[in-house]
Amino acid sequence: MAKHDLSAYSICEDAQAMLAKANKDGVETVWDRLKAQEPQCGFCELGLSCRNCVMGPCRIDPFGDGPQRGVCGADADVIVARNFGRMVAAGAAAHSDHGRDLVETLLAIGEGSTTDYAIRDEAKLRRIAEEVGLDVAGKETKAVALALAEQFYEDFGSRRGSVSFIDRVPAKRRALWETLGITPRGIDREVVEMMHRTHMGVDNDAVNICLHAARLSLADGWAGSMIATELSDVIFGTPTPRPSKVNLGVLKEDQVNILVHGHSPIVSEMILAAVRDPALVAKAKAAGASGINLAGLCCTGNELLMRQGIPMAGNHLMTELALVTGAVEVIVVDYQCIMPSLVTVAGCYHSRIVTTSPKAKFTGATHIAFDTQNAKQKAVEVVELAIERFKERDPARVDIPVEPVDIMSGFSNEAVLTALGGTAAPLIEAIKAGSIRGAVGIVGCNNPKVKHDYQNVNLIRECIKRDLLVLVTGCVTVSAGKQGLLVPEAAELAGPGLASVCKALGIPPVLHVGSCVDNSRIMQLCAMLATALGVDISDLPVAAAAPEWYSEKAATIGLYAVASGIFTVLGVNPPILGSKAVTDLAVSGLEGVVGASFAVEGDPVKAADLIDARIRTKRQALGLKP
Amino acid sequence: MIQKTVIVRLERCVGCMQCMIRCAEAHSQSKTLAEAIREPILAKPRIHLGVGPEGRPFPNKCRHCEPAPCQDACMPWAIRDDIAPGLKVVDPTRCIGCGMCAMACPYYVIRFYRDAGAPERPSVAIKCDGCHERVAAGGIPACVTACKTGALAFEEVNLYLKEGTNRLAQAAYGVHS
Repeated sequence: MAKHDLSAYSICEDAQAMLAKANKDGVETVWDRLKAQEPQCGFCELGLSCRNCVMGPCRIDPFGDGPQRGVCGADADVIVARNFGRMVAAGAAAHSDHGRDLVETLLAIGEGSTTDYAIRDEAKLRRIAEEVGLDVAGKETKAVALALAEQFYEDFGSRRGSVSFIDRVPAKRRALWETLGITPRGIDREVVEMMHRTHMGVDNDAVNICLHAARLSLADGWAGSMIATELSDVIFGTPTPRPSKVNLGVLKEDQVNILVHGHSPIVSEMILAAVRDPALVAKAKAAGASGINLAGLCCTGNELLMRQGIPMAGNHLMTELALVTGAVEVIVVDYQCIMPSLVTVAGCYHSRIVTTSPKAKFTGATHIAFDTQNAKQKAVEVVELAIERFKERDPARVDIPVEPVDIMSGFSNEAVLTALGGTAAPLIEAIKAGSIRGAVGIVGCNNPKVKHDYQNVNLIRECIKRDLLVLVTGCVTVSAGKQGLLVPEAAELAGPGLASVCKALGIPPVLHVGSCVDNSRIMQLCAMLATALGVDISDLPVAAAAPEWYSEKAATIGLYAVASGIFTVLGVNPPILGSKAVTDLAVSGLEGVVGASFAVEGDPVKAADLIDARIRTKRQALGLKP
Repeated sequence: MIQKTVIVRLERCVGCMQCMIRCAEAHSQSKTLAEAIREPILAKPRIHLGVGPEGRPFPNKCRHCEPAPCQDACMPWAIRDDIAPGLKVVDPTRCIGCGMCAMACPYYVIRFYRDAGAPERPSVAIKCDGCHERVAAGGIPACVTACKTGALAFEEVNLYLKEGTNRLAQAAYGVHS
């Protein structure tokens, strides 16, 4: 770590303290590895390199001195569009394969082949089943679960003209998608078709590829992710508001500390059940601990936080630093966003990384394979391993640097509507009156290229100041929570209108609505508002932002937001700038096609200005005061 | 003063062309890749890859010879040695694009393009300027910064050769590093 001013890396006190400790302990972190990679590949940064076949690899010279076409003849526009298309496909695949795991779990419940999992929200099971056209009257729970699982399995296939939740989309938007030919048909189909189109010699029109990327992203936002969200609620319970805590201070010096990391609630919920098992708590006490402490990282942490109030230890860039505390016995992971480096960092302490999914093994980690039949037993094994590791902990190397900060979580759409008295009408009235001028979904990741949490937090501050209600998911949740923005008292930091609404309802000005698949909750909320007002989503005074995004999944989320009509500001450049045609389409051309576009702005104040201007325009068009 | 120079270790080059793209970026107006590729007069790389047998790469740039054949051939005195010590730097405001320097250069390292330093001229000589501005600011040349394999190094020639001699001496006694 070259920079000695650790505040250059993160705004967080716990991060800075653990970076100093990492230096002292000789632990390499994500920031060291970024430095070793810099300057990164300029062709790849611009999207101008192609590895799709072995006539290549090819690069296009953006300065016009070298080649302007790949060996096959593809120009910068085609190469950039193909690369972006594959990026979106990977993101949709990740969310949707996660969604499929929930469908498999629901099927196992329906078939009665699991006793470890059950339906916790039967009313929602029946409501969703009816919504997608199933006859549930008089049917027992298992039969409904089975039928709904079969229904959603079909959404992954290619026999349907559209996905099950298409009826949630406002009529105007559906008609637009039909006209453009981008109605999502089947999740796997759209992903496979993108892989096909981007093979050499298939789709060689940048705009056509981008339109399919849009359809593909919609199959994620309105199907893969949406199924993941809804079935997680059905199986594990629909979130309701609840208090919790955040930052590395949630680790406990005198307890066995287990962190869950990854995305799905399927494994993490079982771990939670095991840490509450009195027999295991007794074992932990026999090992010298005062108890077993569970906390979350990343999105599976968000899943437990939303439904169970389990505290969050950190977001993406805190995952290595959590281990540096020397107080973590086990990080148990499922999949996505788990840095392979965690195994190495864990090896510098007594910690263990436990992998659980057959599709996500890490060399050097302990693999404990979970499935729907054995999950409870396997979770016990994970906790037992953690208790064993606790005995190896070196107290002299433990440093838990901060006290935790209070947060409030659990704002599912159902919870929001309940808080509003059963309908969205009071929210619509507040928007019409201008006390809430609009809503902004601030979502996404951390990226070591930008100062950790700086853009996430400052964009939120700027938005709430302007009476814009902020909804957060994923890693932004932790960014906001650590700075005290996820509690009702944060209303003091909001503009007068938003503050008055928050105080009246006792809610924070920044609502935590879930994990990254739960961005589908925001889509559904926008759709409900648009339908209630008889307008399209693109007419609403709403916007989205991914200030510190890094992942392919975030690219997919950004695109489904835009394709659904939501203006989206990215804080880090997407790898498309090598093509003027694709860049122009993204930042302006899409406006005339889907009624929204992207913007790229890394300065949170300027990003807020862009969002504010957008919302002003939309409010005026609706005849509201700007 | 001990002067460092860019040393090429041919056997390490994988032909990735990062040196070229970062060279052009460093010689753009904005110095930022994303913006540089949208400038009205595109900056150009001053290091190039030649293609050897079986496509093997050969990074090639100005050696800053002394005496320099290009400088001797330049009628309008556009190739200057008073801008940065030890470096032959093209002054685009003096260059008339006649091509004499390129004909005189035995290494084929000079190219001709429009340059933002003399936008009114259709074509001027473009070649390595040793990144003298970056070096004066305490940095190293952009091509060296970009090189991931160590094919380009910014070192003092005799020190580099002395270290090489020591490696050779080790090898002569059977010790390979």
